[in-house]
Amino acid sequence: RKAKLFPPVPPLSFLHSFWSDGEQTPESRTFHSAAFCRPAMEINDGEEEEEFEFSRNYFLAKELGGSSKKSGRKISDIDPVDEQELRTAANNLEPKHEREVASLMESYKASYPEWGFMLRTGFGLLMYGFGSKKALIEDFASTSLTEYSVVVINGYVQSINLKQVMVAIAEVWWDQLKAKRRNSPSQAQQPFNSRSIDDLLAFMDGQEADDDKSFVCIIVNNIDGPGLREPESQHLLARIASCTHIRIIASIDHVNAPLLWDKKMVHTQFNWYWYHVPTFAPYVVEGVFFPLILAHSSTAQSAKTAAIVLQSLTPNAQSVFRVLAEYQLSHPDVEGMPIESLYAASRERFLVSSQVTLNSHLTEFKDHELVKTRRNADGQDCVYIPLANDGLQKLLPEINP
Amino acid sequence: GSIETREVHSAVAFVSARREWLDGKQNERVEVEAQKTESGLVPTHLALGSCHRGGATSGFTVSEFTPAGKLLVPSGSSSKGLHLHCCCYMEPFTILHKASSRKTDKISTGTGKSRTTRRIDLTASLPASTDISDVNAAESNERHYSNMRMEAFEAVWSSTESSIKDVLREANATIFSEIHEWVRDSFDTIVSFGVPNFHEATQPFPVVKDATSKQIFTGLVLTRNIEFVDDLVTFEDLKQHLKSQGCHVANLSSVDFSSKNGVGTCLRSLLGQFVTGSLDTADISMLATWYKEQQNNDNPVVIIIDDMERCCASILSEFIHMLSEWVLKVPAILIMGVATTVDAPRNVLPSNALHRLHARKFTFQSLPEKMNYVVETAFVKQSSEFTISHKTAVFMRNYFVHQNGSVTSFIRALKIACAQHFSTQPLCFILHWFLRDEDNEVPQSHIYGLSQERMLKLAFDLPSWKSTNNQITQLSGETLLDGLTQLKKLHKTWRMVVLCLYEAIKGENVQLLDLMCEALDPKGPFASQFDIGSRVLPSDDSTSQKFHSLEKNKGLINRAIRRVKELPANQLLVLMKAWEKHTVDVPEFHSEVKALVLSLLKLEENGESLNQNKVEMTNTRKQALRGHLNGADKNLRVANEKASNLVDLMVRRYMCPVECVALHEVLCFDCVDQLQAALIGDMRRRIQMDLQDFHAIIRCSCCSKRGSTILPSMPDSSIMYTLAQEHGDVVNVHDWYQSFKSVVLSTHMVSKRGKSRSKQHSPTPKKRKTTSELSQPSEASIQARFCKAIVELQVTGLVRMPNRRRPDYLQRLAFGS
Repeated sequence: RKAKLFPPVPPLSFLHSFWSDGEQTPESRTFHSAAFCRPAMEINDGEEEEEFEFSRNYFLAKELGGSSKKSGRKISDIDPVDEQELRTAANNLEPKHEREVASLMESYKASYPEWGFMLRTGFGLLMYGFGSKKALIEDFASTSLTEYSVVVINGYVQSINLKQVMVAIAEVWWDQLKAKRRNSPSQAQQPFNSRSIDDLLAFMDGQEADDDKSFVCIIVNNIDGPGLREPESQHLLARIASCTHIRIIASIDHVNAPLLWDKKMVHTQFNWYWYHVPTFAPYVVEGVFFPLILAHSSTAQSAKTAAIVLQSLTPNAQSVFRVLAEYQLSHPDVEGMPIESLYAASRERFLVSSQVTLNSHLTEFKDHELVKTRRNADGQDCVYIPLANDGLQKLLPEINP
Repeated sequence: GSIETREVHSAVAFVSARREWLDGKQNERVEVEAQKTESGLVPTHLALGSCHRGGATSGFTVSEFTPAGKLLVPSGSSSKGLHLHCCCYMEPFTILHKASSRKTDKISTGTGKSRTTRRIDLTASLPASTDISDVNAAESNERHYSNMRMEAFEAVWSSTESSIKDVLREANATIFSEIHEWVRDSFDTIVSFGVPNFHEATQPFPVVKDATSKQIFTGLVLTRNIEFVDDLVTFEDLKQHLKSQGCHVANLSSVDFSSKNGVGTCLRSLLGQFVTGSLDTADISMLATWYKEQQNNDNPVVIIIDDMERCCASILSEFIHMLSEWVLKVPAILIMGVATTVDAPRNVLPSNALHRLHARKFTFQSLPEKMNYVVETAFVKQSSEFTISHKTAVFMRNYFVHQNGSVTSFIRALKIACAQHFSTQPLCFILHWFLRDEDNEVPQSHIYGLSQERMLKLAFDLPSWKSTNNQITQLSGETLLDGLTQLKKLHKTWRMVVLCLYEAIKGENVQLLDLMCEALDPKGPFASQFDIGSRVLPSDDSTSQKFHSLEKNKGLINRAIRRVKELPANQLLVLMKAWEKHTVDVPEFHSEVKALVLSLLKLEENGESLNQNKVEMTNTRKQALRGHLNGADKNLRVANEKASNLVDLMVRRYMCPVECVALHEVLCFDCVDQLQAALIGDMRRRIQMDLQDFHAIIRCSCCSKRGSTILPSMPDSSIMYTLAQEHGDVVNVHDWYQSFKSVVLSTHMVSKRGKSRSKQHSPTPKKRKTTSELSQPSEASIQARFCKAIVELQVTGLVRMPNRRRPDYLQRLAFGS
């Protein structure tokens, strides 16, 4: 009977390959689908069939993948609009279904008492479902959790210093404790800034409170966000969440988010209570750090801006740039053009008279991010143009011959 | 207008001015400037949001700002004022509000280094302050009631939880004391190698003796759990036990033995548990110093490592080497949890580390045994009356057997069920009333915010009451009291029967949970006589008869009854003695069991005397004796038969599944779907379901289901997700964009063709209006929508950005649900 049990939770290092841009093996994915995407347990027999469906989908997709590779259309074929225009348009988009989304949010208000109850019984609330849940959770906290201090951590921010967060939480908890027993003399406190993490945890876990029902609530928006994805962060968060005087509400959006935790964290530390609360609210802040695909990789775009900059430079400077560009086109696989070679080539064509002149040109290029430098395998300093070859080809005709 | 000064504490802030204000004053310039503070201007590139001005956008960027810079915004003279959203979204963390009894409009933000407090005027959005006192009163009432419910829940749950914990600890008691004894012996052996003298003890390096003195006594504990979560609980108990016996105990987990941080982490963690004060460096000599400073040095240092197999082998062996060098100064004894077999250390550790270990094996209770204890305590013997329905029991059993396999999670599931019961069932406080044993008076519902009439109404409206007692017209507190007493009594006898059955079948490696599921089944073969009405049990007689005959020889209950019939005399006697204990409350059975015990005792006495006589037997008397033996045999058969009939009668008369009793909803949790949703978040599937069936969630009028056609009014992400289904594991961005574009542009066609109809159908989306008024969505806006949708799919992890090797393809990460 026990043979049907799932394989153990994978070591967390596995996560990185899963999330990073590195290639992913099909094994890891099938493993994942078997272990974590299994439909919730059902008493009937539909389960196996669904699972079959699931793996079939995967293989179908893989098969299709082979055939669709033949469609070799490029992003640049879309003919992306000017980046500025795109960003303006993106900031100006009219949200769809605004009213329905608002009423959906409103409908969750009826669940607030239940959420509060579960939080008080010691569970951590884990909100998932499509749409940004930031507004929903914060609204819940500011209407239903007024008697507790609430600290918000934004996981979608790129880097978060959890120690600082802990210091802030400890200070808030200290204030809350002080307010509770005003008459008793407050003992001298070592400033939280200089305490160790273990000390802070012990403080939040301590039995100092007169009634152990009060707590500090932590809201973690996107606990699966880039700022908190490291296993260390998750372990620390789990330890914070398991403190007696801490309750946690978190939101997850990434389908693989549950892989962040092992069973100890899920069942004993975070003590998750899942809520499916799709909001369909746009991911505005959550998506800030994601590049817009058409703005990011549009070669035409960068070629155009490069051309504008180049046209304002002297003809000799433009010609030096051309030398570099032509070299780069004819040597697509090297790190860049060694500065000495560039100097020699430019001197040959009477474009520069000395290294100093070349350097002044290069400085100008670098300031406008037209070229960058790096070392090649021989340790020489090389310059290169940070543009793809097709971009370069578009650029060349626009420079003076 | 007047200038309002708001402090902004952040490097990056989003400022968006509300349309209402700006629409009217399109020409007014919004001034955003950074003011000099004493610290001077710090040039920081800022990405500030934008002001919408009637559709057109004028973005503004402030390139200079101070960490505590000031943002100056002229507030309009209009009453609405400038609604400034300075939400500091890009802060790593903020303090939303501090604890207070009243609602607060203060928001303070802070990072670790510098903190300033900022006030945001939210008065415009606060409700009118007319009936605030009413609201407050209602609120405080509500809070009071919710606190009372909370209290009731805590009382009920803590009684269950503490008894479970006790029983688990008791189950381990013998093995714990065995471990303690071994720890003591090992310590004595270490001490016998020699105690370092004062001079040696003060040196910051280890004492060197012969090789045998370098051995570390190691207890390998076979935890026999499936999940290491359960081990944690056991080891915590063990730690407490050893501590209470005077040992110095520290817990290390596999996280401390990670290859990333080296041996320093586990040393630091170890020192942190013994030495107080801040630790700048972790060094084992500090541990030796600490040990020397202890008042009496006659206690060992026990180090428990939760899960030895998950530790990094090199770090662990380094740690073992270090301990073994210092063992004379720090008499350390290791206890390592092993999840598989005793061979594990041999597989994990290098031989030179193995040589340092002097191992001994201990074995904990197996998981099924533990599970039986838990179920017995939680459902069959428990002090609180809370119980679960048959469906829930089956679900929890499956959850345990197929999905989770850990006792801790099972208890957690039970807690969720209990909490849900208290948050959904208005009459749940009766459980608290049961617990306090005030059966002789009607429950005081008003304490829990429920008037007496309301309570009665709720109780007598319960389906189980209606289906059984519809002939009773006199509905009073007494009726309820009678009903509840009856409920409690029947529940008690049910537990008695289950316990007796379990005693009978215990030796056969049977899970109590399985037996319980069978006994709880309101449609099971034994429940028919407790039928509470056709409403609950819709099956007609013929099929149920058939079912019964089919089931007759299956099932654990039948097996138990059969087994009683075949038990040998001594086992039967043990069983009857156990029954004698359990049936105290039902005199009818108690007396019969007693009689059986007596007859069995007599049988045994006879048997013994026979055995004694055997020695002096002569051939002539053998014949007579055989007859006598046959008689004894016959007597045993009779006893077996009697016991079997008795248990059969018990089952038929008293094993009434709780769901067949009136008012059972009060103490029985039945929302299995809710429990499942809370327990097993099905992240991957649900996100995709959301995108596919968004219509079922947001219920808009514009995108009603029309087969599988993709409608342009659908959310962009849904369109994109649906389109991606047609691609393989990689999606060509260009193709994707083209199909997206054609879908979006089809909106235009639809709205052109049936403008009036579409307006009727979808009054909501402004998009529709603007697109039908404007000739066509611009290329830029389509591209922007495409990009945004991809960003959203990326946030949810459904696609991944192109990599260097395939710059024009996105990779799909999830494949249908």
